[in-house]
Amino acid sequence: MCVGLSARVVSVKGGSAVIDATGARRTVSAELLDDLEPGDYVMVHAGIAIAKITDSSENESNQIMEQLDEKSTGNN
Amino acid sequence: MKSPREIIESYSGRPLRIMEVCGTHTHEIFRCGIRKILPPQIELISGPGCPVCVTPPGYIDSAIELALEHKALICTFGDLIRVPGSRMSLAGARSQGAAVKAVYTPLDAVEIAKENPDKEVVFLAVGFETTVPSACLAVKHAESEGIKNFSLLTSNKTMPDAYRALGNCADAFLYPGHVHTIIGSSICLELLKGGISGVVAGFQADELLTALAVIAHHADNSSEAFFENCYKRIARDEGNPAAMRLINEVMTSCDAEWRGLGVIPGSGLKLNATYAAFDARLKFNVPECSGTPHAGCRCGEILKGLLKPEDCPLFGKVCTPVNPVGACMVSHEGSCSAYYQYGR
Amino acid sequence: MEEKFVTLAHGAGGQQTNELIDRVFKAHFANPEFTGDDAAVLAPWSGKTAFSTDGFIVSPWEFPGGNIGKLSICGTVNDLACMGAVPKYLTCAFVIEEGFPLDKLEEIAAAMEKTAAEAGVRIVAGDTKVAGKGQVDNIFITTTGIGEIMPGVRTSGTAAQVGDAVIVTGDVGRHGCTILLARDEFGIEADVTSDCAPLNKTVEELFSVTKDIHVIRDATRGGVGTVLYEIAGQSNVGIRIDSQAVPVADGVRGVCGMLGLEPLYLACEGRLVIFAPKEHADAIVAKLRTLPYSGNAAVIGEVIADPVGKVVLTTEIGAQTMLPPPGGELLPRIC
Repeated sequence: MCVGLSARVVSVKGGSAVIDATGARRTVSAELLDDLEPGDYVMVHAGIAIAKITDSSENESNQIMEQLDEKSTGNN
Repeated sequence: MKSPREIIESYSGRPLRIMEVCGTHTHEIFRCGIRKILPPQIELISGPGCPVCVTPPGYIDSAIELALEHKALICTFGDLIRVPGSRMSLAGARSQGAAVKAVYTPLDAVEIAKENPDKEVVFLAVGFETTVPSACLAVKHAESEGIKNFSLLTSNKTMPDAYRALGNCADAFLYPGHVHTIIGSSICLELLKGGISGVVAGFQADELLTALAVIAHHADNSSEAFFENCYKRIARDEGNPAAMRLINEVMTSCDAEWRGLGVIPGSGLKLNATYAAFDARLKFNVPECSGTPHAGCRCGEILKGLLKPEDCPLFGKVCTPVNPVGACMVSHEGSCSAYYQYGR
Repeated sequence: MEEKFVTLAHGAGGQQTNELIDRVFKAHFANPEFTGDDAAVLAPWSGKTAFSTDGFIVSPWEFPGGNIGKLSICGTVNDLACMGAVPKYLTCAFVIEEGFPLDKLEEIAAAMEKTAAEAGVRIVAGDTKVAGKGQVDNIFITTTGIGEIMPGVRTSGTAAQVGDAVIVTGDVGRHGCTILLARDEFGIEADVTSDCAPLNKTVEELFSVTKDIHVIRDATRGGVGTVLYEIAGQSNVGIRIDSQAVPVADGVRGVCGMLGLEPLYLACEGRLVIFAPKEHADAIVAKLRTLPYSGNAAVIGEVIADPVGKVVLTTEIGAQTMLPPPGGELLPRIC
């Protein structure tokens, strides 16, 4: 139940934000997030920005894998 | 350092049954072909996480009645339009003159109500915690703008009860990242205390592989239960507090019927007394869904991974993708539908 | 005083019908074979004849990149071209909703004139009916066309062979995405225009590279994915597509991401799917990329022996999965 879309915030006005996802633009609700600014990346679901995105999936994956590596090295 | 894929492909530990409980996870796992690269010790099973699939026929019947008898304009997520009720789907009802409109967000349904003051507009509120805030926000918008011709027909469900009910059916959960973006990870820690393992996972191929690698790594190194949030860039441990406040302000817990499973007490959400004016059931006197599943349907056991689709007496005979009885046959990715179309 | 709207009288067969024909259709479709007689009289040719018909209903009737008039010419021209024919003559039948603006009807006729000229076909007969308000959605057009099959050419949906390369002539899903956006039902904006185009010249150029082309099919409603399943079924073969090789424009990708749609199943109106022996694939793509409507042409996959009748996708992680078979109405997903 989670078709989500990561998108860049283009502009913010009142409780709503215009977002851009690979060239598709739409106004979505920004009511559930504080301090959104143009340039932020957000996760959008059913027309609502539900979270700010703080990192890329590559970075996050690399961090997780490094930690795993440390753990297993520690175990040995 | 091994890549996530190398960790998964080289896994040779104890057999692992990993249950994904989210329709979008199921969809992406199919789309990317992730099952095809798993070693024989790892099995992915699809739990009942797709709210469209678990929407009971009685709910579709109620929506159709609102459209045909009460002439309401039905707004819905597109997924529901094909889901069969006991007599027909919303697509079928549309061919009988029902006004059914797919919308991107329930907020658009409020706008449609504003533009059509002479029509009753009903939004079909299905979905788990990811989607509930959008329905709540729609009600708040309607209230603040004094829009009286808008209401929700709720069939919202909550994920924690599904986890509790299914916890012993798998070795680990692939927790749906966007549900936990809203509710946070405290429930996962609570389940961990009860010995239930899982990781919060994102939806892209690389995120799914990373999450599966983390599960494989834990299973390889220890027999203890584990939990890890592999989607922290979006799903914070505290969730989205504003969204949770909104849900608690607008909705209240209720019993809910799951297609193929019957009624699970306390597993649903409906509008609370303060927002009762926006409850289509009250407004149009629609009875609660309390249908009993088809006697032969083994959906529950299939969802739990206890039976294979061909073990069900209805499979391929009474129950087919065109005329599905249980949840597993409704969506393309449902276990029975996939079995039916591709074999194993 | 000049009538500004189509009325039921325009369809009644009397003086006003003639005025409509003179003002709109004769003005735009004039050619020696387009006469006032009951049927066009045409000389036979020596080659085989391809013959096809198609009805056009599109809402909205005008959209970025074209209108129903352009679409109605391209559709039939492309159907003929796919059989290796040089399209020669078209007929067109209009069903117009009472109250449709006359100047808009002229715009549609002008688009048909321009597209027919580009394709080198002549409109030689037509019919106009006017339906009462609400009986049709603005305007429906049916076109029928005939063309002469080029010598030495034989294409058919049953002719795909194991080892053939699968080529698309450009990025997929543009027309479907454009129409979806033009209906403005989902509040989404994107810079996407329809790919609607006449492709008979493209096909003629294709056969200048080689006559050894097994299948050409234009991907219309149902998109490229539907064509792949059709050909896999008709030719009793399997098809393997590299999902990363399928060209998709950014805006189309964004809209599909937002609504949970698969670009392979969005309609095209100016894209061919070509099956030809692998050894010709590079030359075909190189030629296509020099032509106006196929600058993004690409090899997207190959024909395989198994599984018969199915389309297999190689995904971004290199795994093989089944492309879900085409399934009815395209609906946005939340789940």
